[in-house]
Amino acid sequence: MSTRRPDATRPVDGPVDGPVDGRPAAQAATVIEGVVEQVFHSVTAVRDTLLAAHRAARERGEPMCDRDITAMRGRLLDLLTGEREVAVGMGVITAPGLLADRPLHLEWWQSEPDRHHPVRLEVDLNPHSVGFYDYAAAEWFVVPRRTGRRHVVGPYVDVHGTHRYLLTLTVPVVADGEFLGVAGADVPVARFETLVLRELGNLAVDVVVVNPEDRVVLSTSARSLAGSLMILDADAGDDAGEVRIISLPDPPWRIVVSPG
Amino acid sequence: MRLLSGDARRAVFAPLDDGSGRSEAVARRLGSAIALGIIVDGEQLPSESHLAALLNVSTVTLRDALADLRGRGLVDTRRGRGGGSFVRASEDALTELSLGRLREIGSTELRELGDIRAAVGGTAARLAADRATASEIARLREILDRLAAVDEGTRQRRIESRYYIDVAAAAQSVRLTLQEIELQAELGQLLWGTPRTAAELATTIASHRQVVDAIESRDGALARQLTETHIGEVTARLIDVHLDLTRRGQQRPGADTAVLPHAAAGAGS
Repeated sequence: MSTRRPDATRPVDGPVDGPVDGRPAAQAATVIEGVVEQVFHSVTAVRDTLLAAHRAARERGEPMCDRDITAMRGRLLDLLTGEREVAVGMGVITAPGLLADRPLHLEWWQSEPDRHHPVRLEVDLNPHSVGFYDYAAAEWFVVPRRTGRRHVVGPYVDVHGTHRYLLTLTVPVVADGEFLGVAGADVPVARFETLVLRELGNLAVDVVVVNPEDRVVLSTSARSLAGSLMILDADAGDDAGEVRIISLPDPPWRIVVSPG
Repeated sequence: MRLLSGDARRAVFAPLDDGSGRSEAVARRLGSAIALGIIVDGEQLPSESHLAALLNVSTVTLRDALADLRGRGLVDTRRGRGGGSFVRASEDALTELSLGRLREIGSTELRELGDIRAAVGGTAARLAADRATASEIARLREILDRLAAVDEGTRQRRIESRYYIDVAAAAQSVRLTLQEIELQAELGQLLWGTPRTAAELATTIASHRQVVDAIESRDGALARQLTETHIGEVTARLIDVHLDLTRRGQQRPGADTAVLPHAAAGAGS
């Protein structure tokens, strides 16, 4: 098994006696899945709110418009300010052209550390502006639209948007085969790391979580930094030498355990 | 009326912090925002009293600034019901505005701007070589393809700004990204004064493509070096234009001062 760590400051560890303990990987998997499910639970509630708003508009016999979306605010804010909420941002992003009176729309609210109440995210939706927030091309929008399934993207810099370093979790919102947009939530990478590390407690090994694009999501050691790349040897399988890897089904991340 | 959406727009209408309250500073800020597409053609500006309060300048100063922009053809003021100040994005006027800025700014300020750009852009390129994923690299290529495909100078500048900003985002650094956004806004006040020939644009794009190649081959030192070299060349060019404008400034006919009253007065003194 070999790993390439462009950001690493020291070579990969030398040989150790016997394979590493796999239990921390399983434990990490449980913790990560727990946090991810919890966030998706809220995202699903957001999706249902958009579906209900869409149904209400249809019953009126009108196309959806701006006010149908703004009417969701109360529910969104309740979810976002819920006591155990992990996400710091939440909302819906409509499919271009869905709303009769607004070609592009984000109804996205954020908790701000220095504010009492969540603040609405305002982005530049003018395609010709240098600061255009081109959400229809963003992975968190494109992938759920294409696959019809939920998706986790990140870590990434949400440039022209929240300007935070994030994991974004989205689900497609579809009514009778029509794609209405996505519902989603933002979890800062640092917050996610804290939650997982707290649950893992003290470990005798290094645990690194890597996304499908080989980017480190979180790490228990400064030898691998969140945001850096860790390219795992594809042939190494799930259990090779001194490093143990387990693959999560959803999100399709890998958990790499190596001697600390 | 669309107001205050996005960080860039918030910055446009933020109080002027240089404390001078000069109408040129107001005009320059609004002109740069028009150049970058942050305020769009036909858009209505906030009322004079509201805008003056947002920018923390007196209404007298604001009126001077609007008169200046009107004189340049960047703002249209209509009276009566449904009236107000409306933005007109005129490429010629933007060129004039940034020539005024280039005349007024000192060559050491231009060098400083180049230095900080090289620091931020160079570091971003080096880190992107370590950290960018395949899809982020593909995105950078896509931006450069678009840059090569558009004809209009203003759009080319905006797309090029997005290239620098996206390199910083690919470096996985929020701070570098925010710095780069700020630098591009500042640069937006200057670059319109130096239109590029097709050959110069082609050289620029080739240079950016080499950076992306270096990022893809994970050669951070090369990505940084290429970026620094390119920024150094752009800076040298801006300084040349500035020096040229300054030397010619005193010989220029009155027509020029009528278009750029403040800038010309500043350069002539």
